[in-house]
Amino acid sequence: MTDERAAPRRGWGPGIKVWDAPTRWFHGLIVVVIGLAWWTESHDEMDWHIRIGCALLGMVVFRLLWGVFGGETARFSSFVRGPRTVLAYAVKLARGGTSADEVGHNPMGGWSVVALLGVMAAEVGFGLFCVDVDGLESGPLADRVSFQAGRTAAHWHTVLFNALLALIALHLCAIAFYTLVRRNNLIGPMLTGRKRVAASSGEADAVQSRSPLIFLASAAVAAGVAVWAAYGFKI
Amino acid sequence: MTVSLGGKRRGLRSAIFGVTALAVVVAASAAAADVLSVVQARQGHFKAIGKAAKAMSEQLKSPTPSVPTIQAAVKQIDALAPELPTWFPAGSGPAAGVKTQAKAEIWAKPDAFKHDAAAFAEAAHKLDLVAASGDLSAIRAQAQAMGQTCKTCHEAFRQRDD
Repeated sequence: MTDERAAPRRGWGPGIKVWDAPTRWFHGLIVVVIGLAWWTESHDEMDWHIRIGCALLGMVVFRLLWGVFGGETARFSSFVRGPRTVLAYAVKLARGGTSADEVGHNPMGGWSVVALLGVMAAEVGFGLFCVDVDGLESGPLADRVSFQAGRTAAHWHTVLFNALLALIALHLCAIAFYTLVRRNNLIGPMLTGRKRVAASSGEADAVQSRSPLIFLASAAVAAGVAVWAAYGFKI
Repeated sequence: MTVSLGGKRRGLRSAIFGVTALAVVVAASAAAADVLSVVQARQGHFKAIGKAAKAMSEQLKSPTPSVPTIQAAVKQIDALAPELPTWFPAGSGPAAGVKTQAKAEIWAKPDAFKHDAAAFAEAAHKLDLVAASGDLSAIRAQAQAMGQTCKTCHEAFRQRDD
């Protein structure tokens, strides 16, 4: 290594900017919110579970908007790649040919993000219609469906939660693999937003700051959806 | 002659054996069908209670609750609740090989089960009386108390969904 920035705390800032603040805050918050959703459900705090579910719905809406209007590395157009690119990357990964200087989502990781967001969206979607076995606790849209349909929604709500846990486990395994085996620190940049890369990879930031108005508008729409859901979409 | 007679006897014995075996199989499958119909009827009753409870709790959550809807739903629950122990005849548990979330504990601890069922019936009846008054906050409190009796019994005697 000729570049002294590459060692020994590679991956941690200052380096170049790879993730914008809203993407990182979204990530940190979603971990907390999913944890709270789990805890409240397993402790029979259903009123809180439903409120948290509505917040999660708002967060998914935010991430979808940010995937269109957000920073470069957060945009779907930058990381949702075709099957040939994904396959080529998988081959490269298997042969140990991936670079520790990659920024943003790699072609496989991009689909992991799509899967995580898709399962989360379906999970909160079914959650809206859930009815518990006693018919006493129910999601904000459960009054639009029968008891039987609400029970079916609850079944899928359970199945998808397990699917989400499986995807999260896969996500953590992939991070551990990159960090420990490939010596590519993915954790530091997601916390600080910056990554040290070899000079040959270029000095330019991978993500440019966006106008705070774009963030505020996206966050306002997301918060609106969350509150609207909490009121059963009746206001 | 003797050989032929022996043959006839053997034939008769096989026939008796065959008929008996057939009868046993028919009886067993009839019993299985009986258990299935018992389980399905039981599930139907619980779904009726769930449906009524859903109708009631939706009104209680609504900004403009309809008291007559609540009263009608509560009446249905109160009518079904006292019958609950009769929906669990012996042999209609998981051991019968029919898909059911009823736990074997129902029949292993019949007194505890009857106690929980009675608590539900009592709470449902009280809810019916409270609902007649039309006092929404009192109805909410009693609906919650009744919901607790559902949970207590389900915890002990119903297999969780997964």
